[in-house]
Amino acid sequence: MIDTVEKMYDEGRFQCYKVTYVNSILLKSVPLDPENTDYQEIQQWISEGNTVIDNGE
Amino acid sequence: MAIDKVTSAALETSTNQPGFRNIIINGDMSIAQRGTSQTGTTSSGYYTVDRMYFSVSSAGTWTQTQSTDVPTGQGFSSSWKIDCTTANGSLSAGSILSVMHRLEGQMLQYLKKGTANAESLTLSFWIKSNKTGTYIAEIKDTDNTRIISKSYTINVADTWEKKTITFEGDTTGAFTNDNGLSCLVSFWLAAGTDYTSGTLATSWENQVSANRAVGQVNLADSTSNELYLTGVQLEAGTSASDFEFLPVDVNLDRCYRYFQMMHSGSANKGMGLGWYSSNTNARFVPVMKKTMRSTPSFYQTTSSDGFRLFTAGGGNDNITSWSVQDSTNKNFALGYNTSEASGTGGQVGYVLTNNDSNYFGLEAEL
Repeated sequence: MIDTVEKMYDEGRFQCYKVTYVNSILLKSVPLDPENTDYQEIQQWISEGNTVIDNGE
Repeated sequence: MAIDKVTSAALETSTNQPGFRNIIINGDMSIAQRGTSQTGTTSSGYYTVDRMYFSVSSAGTWTQTQSTDVPTGQGFSSSWKIDCTTANGSLSAGSILSVMHRLEGQMLQYLKKGTANAESLTLSFWIKSNKTGTYIAEIKDTDNTRIISKSYTINVADTWEKKTITFEGDTTGAFTNDNGLSCLVSFWLAAGTDYTSGTLATSWENQVSANRAVGQVNLADSTSNELYLTGVQLEAGTSASDFEFLPVDVNLDRCYRYFQMMHSGSANKGMGLGWYSSNTNARFVPVMKKTMRSTPSFYQTTSSDGFRLFTAGGGNDNITSWSVQDSTNKNFALGYNTSEASGTGGQVGYVLTNNDSNYFGLEAEL
């Protein structure tokens, strides 16, 4: 179950999402690829009203 | 007489069983790249045995293991085991407990689903549990939201039993010919009334949730409960052939399409080329073993300073995690870290694991 999602930037570009999970030491860096199922899960999580952390570049 | 040539056709004739007939990848549970045990599981995901997705919601807490308990004399060395550590004897309506195998549509075109020539499918497997009674196996077409479910019985407690179930072909709804999810093969283990209050869908039908798992026992109702599964094979046709054992390297290679563990459980293992693109931006190229289903996620721990970039000058720069950038599913992945990196722009080196609890993998699962 997703705990937090954060936008990650490099050289001025939004590159990927950083995802942590509830009660887990697992951390994923998720590419912006609609075919990636982690990316799909993030979009679903966002559509459910959850908020992505965005600290900017 | 010496044999000078054996054709693939001759091999098929000798066994009357074509190669790669098993649609299930890692059905013998022999590959477990992520690890051989996971405790405290209460949410869905891939945890131990490759390609076996554990689906759980409000249905107890579980330890899952790659076990060496296998049916005697059948050639298997591993099974997938789940053990209930916190029970739920009063399932909520939406409770789910199942293990499922997720399949790409492009792998299934030869089944001719959605045509008059649609192939039947036969599922065979070995199963063992202390919890006897009715269980449900289901095939779901996620492209067209259609299902078919069949019940089977675990007859004798704590005894390996082989089950064979045939699902007729579906003349409605083709699988999409791409790398996306098209089909789920599910072994239900517990289900709330949302999935059990109807009439079991023993023929293909447009999905009615209440018809998916009617009659399913609740494996989550006691901490004494455990279940083992191995030898899972799904093949075209109306009969089950012997389990198709693949060489371990072939089996592992098939799993790599979805997950590649680079290193786990050991420090000071090289993982790939690294360098500094600036004084505060470390780069890392993990070595991709083969083309993956999609651009992979980086699968890693939150372990502090789990990696280090060892540079040509002898420096060590500890890194907690890597972010993915400009990668593809073919041969190339690139990571970066701009929050902790401290080096000299242009300096090269390589990346190592930095502690025994750390791991790093590439994941492109369905």
